[in-house]
Amino acid sequence: MLVKDVMNSPVLTVEASVTLEEAYHIMLQRDIRHIPVMREGRLVGMITDRDIRLATSPFAPGGAKSTAIPVEEVMTQPVFTAEPLDPVEEAARVMRERKIGALPILEGERLVGIVTGIDLLEALLRLTGVEKPSGRLEVCLEDRPGELARLGGELAQQNINIHSLLTYPYGEGTVNTVVRVGTLDTRKVARSLRQKGFKVQWPPEIPSKSL
Amino acid sequence: MSALVVYSPQYQLYNFGPRHPFSPVRLEMLVDLLQHLGHPLHFVEPTQATREEVRSVHLESFVRRVEAAGRGEYFPDFVHYGIGTADTPIFPGMDEAARWLVGGTLTAARMVVGGPAKEVLQLGGGLHHAQKDLASGFCVYNDLSVAIRYLTDQGLRVAYIDIDVHHGDGVQWIHYDEPNVLTFSIHESGRYLYPGTGHTHEIGKALGTGRKLNIPLEPFTEDESYLEVLQMGLEPALRWFRPDVLLVQCGADAHFQDPLAEILLTTQAYAKIFPLLRQYAAAFAGGRAVYTLGGGYSLDATSRIWALLYLTLQDLPLPDHLPEPWLRRWGMQLGHFLTHTLFDPEGAYPEVPRKAEIERRNRQVTERMLESVRPYWN
Repeated sequence: MLVKDVMNSPVLTVEASVTLEEAYHIMLQRDIRHIPVMREGRLVGMITDRDIRLATSPFAPGGAKSTAIPVEEVMTQPVFTAEPLDPVEEAARVMRERKIGALPILEGERLVGIVTGIDLLEALLRLTGVEKPSGRLEVCLEDRPGELARLGGELAQQNINIHSLLTYPYGEGTVNTVVRVGTLDTRKVARSLRQKGFKVQWPPEIPSKSL
Repeated sequence: MSALVVYSPQYQLYNFGPRHPFSPVRLEMLVDLLQHLGHPLHFVEPTQATREEVRSVHLESFVRRVEAAGRGEYFPDFVHYGIGTADTPIFPGMDEAARWLVGGTLTAARMVVGGPAKEVLQLGGGLHHAQKDLASGFCVYNDLSVAIRYLTDQGLRVAYIDIDVHHGDGVQWIHYDEPNVLTFSIHESGRYLYPGTGHTHEIGKALGTGRKLNIPLEPFTEDESYLEVLQMGLEPALRWFRPDVLLVQCGADAHFQDPLAEILLTTQAYAKIFPLLRQYAAAFAGGRAVYTLGGGYSLDATSRIWALLYLTLQDLPLPDHLPEPWLRRWGMQLGHFLTHTLFDPEGAYPEVPRKAEIERRNRQVTERMLESVRPYWN
């Protein structure tokens, strides 16, 4: 998943000369928290609702600033940015390490989008979520080459489509694999996988069930 | 007055082949059991749904492909419409067969509106997974949604209640933004079971917001907890929504014997659920209700649960033992032991160690659901 798949575009921007009050009203109206600041068509900073609230607060070191000053006096600069073809996880890493809530996305010099923390949560939901009706299989695989292929091959042989796949290290020398598959009858799939020696964690085996 | 019953032998044409769980043997066994119970059977013959009626819910591109598949023709994009998959494989005449099931549910809905009955049992249908352009989870056409569309077109408010163990996703998505349709589905959590949806945060959109309700249950939920949260979630919703008619999908796969899911109801629970739903229909919907079948993949359990449904709606006494000739015939045919009594024996499945935790979580999830929809109830 790339930044261009989750970014917001087009982006709302303000000129550096806009006042704090005007910028804050735009944020309220549009229900947003981050606005890239432009001068002569180029990105020069970022202004956030937090920047404005802190600058105008009586608790601000040095006292509250006037709401009539231009945003360029309190904006963050220089700005951390990303590119549309960066992987999503790289944008996430920059935002986490710098503790920032949004990244403007530049294509060369041109501002083409913005990615916020909410967009990254959206990406997480898409990666782990259910976009199509599907059953859930959880299989614990040996951590060695070919195991995932063997699992995929078994599913293909039963004409079962894989909608999504998530794997993560689990225990000693094993990888847990959560597969969303296009079938209601995951028990039948689990049965045949167990016969082939796979360690199926879900659905569970219920030996006492009589039909 | 007891319920009228809609049934046609044509329903058995809906057949994905001998190895598929959604088997017409379920209907054959059920009707045979009803016959053996010794009460006179009167079935109302449904009319097959027309293409236009199917199109009131499904897209032209989808219907055209189902028709073509049933004629043996091939489209390279069948799989995008869920056609020819492991769950909904192609069979000859699948369009006609699916239209019989739709016709039955539609006939039942017409009877409730038109007057001859307040309660109608459709002995088939309940294909709640089918979406407007997708066959899914054994379901080709969505008979429930076609009936709902017919009812709302008559200006009626419909409460759809789904007790199948799987989330009623097709019906929910088709009517997701409709204000005159309340959908309520109680099912094993999508975290564990197909189709993966039916979470408490799915509450509808636009004018439908607050009118789509889901109770996702913990695996290994048992009778008491199920009945507790069913009442806790459903009663206030119906009291508020005041439907003109209930449409109930009576899937029988939340039974402990069901091979495809992990909820542990006994037939004793169903003997309480069906009268409860009937009471709700009387109290909140002028007594008008249509009941359909649905999922259910243990032949032993589905025969008994749906016989219970039939007997309850007909105000007939519940027998203790099932008829010997029926037990013999089907025991031989299936090659395994069938439960001899309508009610399950005590201790039919091993004790569940997490019982208290499961009850707590089910209660909590139901509270969460109510909290998220109540702000829209006014």
